[in-house]
Amino acid sequence: MLALRRVGRPSLSPCQGRRTLTPSLLSARGVGRRYGRIVALAPTSLEVRAGDALALIGPNGAGKSTLLSILAGALEPSDGSVAMGGNHGGPKVGWVPQRPAHYQRLSPRENLELFARLEEVPDAAEVADRFLGLLDLPDDGRVTAELSAGNQQRLNLAVALLARPDVLLLDEPTASLDPRQRRLLWQVAAQVREQGGAVVFATQNLEELERFATRVAVLIGGELVFDGTLDDFHTSPEADVFA
Amino acid sequence: MTKIRLLLGKDLRVLRRSPLLLGALIVYPLVFAALVGAVVRYASDRPTIAFVDLDRLPETLTVGGQKFNVPAVLDQVNRSAELVPMEQAEADRKLANGEVDAEIVVPRGFASRLRGMVDSPQLVLKTARGGVATRVEQQTQALVYELNQRLQDAYIKANLQYVRLIVDGGSGSFLGNEFDVVGLKRAGEMLAEIERTTKDAAVAARARELSNFVRQATLALGASDESLRATANPIELQIDSQAGRSWLLSAQLQAYALALTLAFICVLLAAAAIASERDENVIGRLARGLVGLTDLVVVKVVLAVLVAVVLGLVIALVFGILAVVFDVTGGEPWARLPLLALGLVAAGAAFGAFGVLVGVVAREARTAVLVAFLVALPLVLLGLLPAGTVEAAHWISKAFPFSHAVDFFQSALYDNDPWGTLAREALWLAGLAAAFGAAARLGMRRLLA
Repeated sequence: MLALRRVGRPSLSPCQGRRTLTPSLLSARGVGRRYGRIVALAPTSLEVRAGDALALIGPNGAGKSTLLSILAGALEPSDGSVAMGGNHGGPKVGWVPQRPAHYQRLSPRENLELFARLEEVPDAAEVADRFLGLLDLPDDGRVTAELSAGNQQRLNLAVALLARPDVLLLDEPTASLDPRQRRLLWQVAAQVREQGGAVVFATQNLEELERFATRVAVLIGGELVFDGTLDDFHTSPEADVFA
Repeated sequence: MTKIRLLLGKDLRVLRRSPLLLGALIVYPLVFAALVGAVVRYASDRPTIAFVDLDRLPETLTVGGQKFNVPAVLDQVNRSAELVPMEQAEADRKLANGEVDAEIVVPRGFASRLRGMVDSPQLVLKTARGGVATRVEQQTQALVYELNQRLQDAYIKANLQYVRLIVDGGSGSFLGNEFDVVGLKRAGEMLAEIERTTKDAAVAARARELSNFVRQATLALGASDESLRATANPIELQIDSQAGRSWLLSAQLQAYALALTLAFICVLLAAAAIASERDENVIGRLARGLVGLTDLVVVKVVLAVLVAVVLGLVIALVFGILAVVFDVTGGEPWARLPLLALGLVAAGAAFGAFGVLVGVVAREARTAVLVAFLVALPLVLLGLLPAGTVEAAHWISKAFPFSHAVDFFQSALYDNDPWGTLAREALWLAGLAAAFGAAARLGMRRLLA
């Protein structure tokens, strides 16, 4: 199993929802993003709570990736702000963007060691070694550019997990993964939630939504039009997004 | 600081994995420097000048009794300019369409006026408008000066013949008129005879007075040879050729080679390095608190500085070794290496910061490389224009690091007292690095969009 387990936290299955009020880990307060006159994301408020498996859905160009980038701190919002909950400077956030974000001319090991050191993870070499094994990444000296899309996506996930994140932000993470690798990804996501964290994932996949989401947020044309439980989503008109 | 070091290590590793690119980046500017140097040298040495001889000059021209071989004189001129004989209509046409840089016309009656030695005959110079006109004028003035130098002897000899005629007496001619002159010596003898034979005391006194004048005039004119030559040449230039550095090892070429190499490598490298952080989608990950955007600018500038120092010192070592192998004198190839290294740091930082700014504006690595090349090339060429040629270009080039880097390197390598120039140029380079770096930092948010 992955070495992300923390002692004394309740265990959850990936699809088990939480109806009770739980601590807020991330709070988007009226965040929006404009590019000149184009509104990529209208001012949006969204709470990410411990134990959430929040699915962001919507058609292409709806603003899902923009919202995830803003939550990750990778993109500065034009409006609003993101507040971090919890203690000790807020939760750690792991970000898996849709397009892999690592150095193509470095090997997977070199990428992992570099990002582990930048994240100030103790024993970076050892941690890199561990993640290479856990995510079954090649360690034959080839640079990342020479790897398959699936391997690159797993490296993308590994880099996001290096600092043991409390919140994992996944942007259509399974697009280039085979079934076995998908199972692995959702196991990792479940472990993050088990340890009191949360997972926010953008998806176009109905099966993933049904199996793994506890909450659903629907974005259309840059606007948040629905935010509720999976059950509520099924009975809402926004369910037509996947029709 | 640790994070800057980590990212710098990553960049150097990536650079090491692109040997072909690195090789091209090194070889290209060096070849470019040599080609530009050759073109500049050729262009400044031998402008093409149309030579229109309306007077049909003879092969041998006699002036003041001295014979001039006209083709030999023209051959001498050919060393500094390519003189192409042609008819006036053809010369006018070629000047108009830029095939020749200037046109020298020998007007009708030129030779006869020259032989007459009464007034100065004129050569007519026509130049095209533009940057080379001034240079052609200067070279033609040098040509006329050279011709005057050669004619001067003949003029002095002719003038001295008249002086001797006045002193010694005899037959002479001027403007075709023949005449006989008594001469000062004979006049003195005649006055002495009058003084001796006359019985009129007043006439004897006047004759004595005149005799004294004649003696003084004879003495004064006796020294006219030297004074005429001194009047013609108040200052004479003695040319003493020594075994200095050849052009290939000159301070100028070395300084240009260094600055050109740095201008291309540092600008392209920094531009591509910062833009590739966005291309690889990593900048968002880094900007999430891992590395500050200012640190990221610093990393790329330091990368440019490191590459500049290593390559610059290698180039300086090659020049130094060549200087030792060929036993050329001048310059201090080894003693000045620390000063040169200081210049490489300052120039690398200025070029690097400019490259980062280009990369931030271009945003994509491929575009950044293309834009960096397109921007660097004209800026380098502006810096290559000699001061005073095109004033606006000179001032524009001052706002970019190239001309300051050239001045720094030239001074660092070869000036006896370089400190003033070094301080001024180092301040310029540091100021430009700070300005470009600050502008790049302001634009860094573009890469996150």
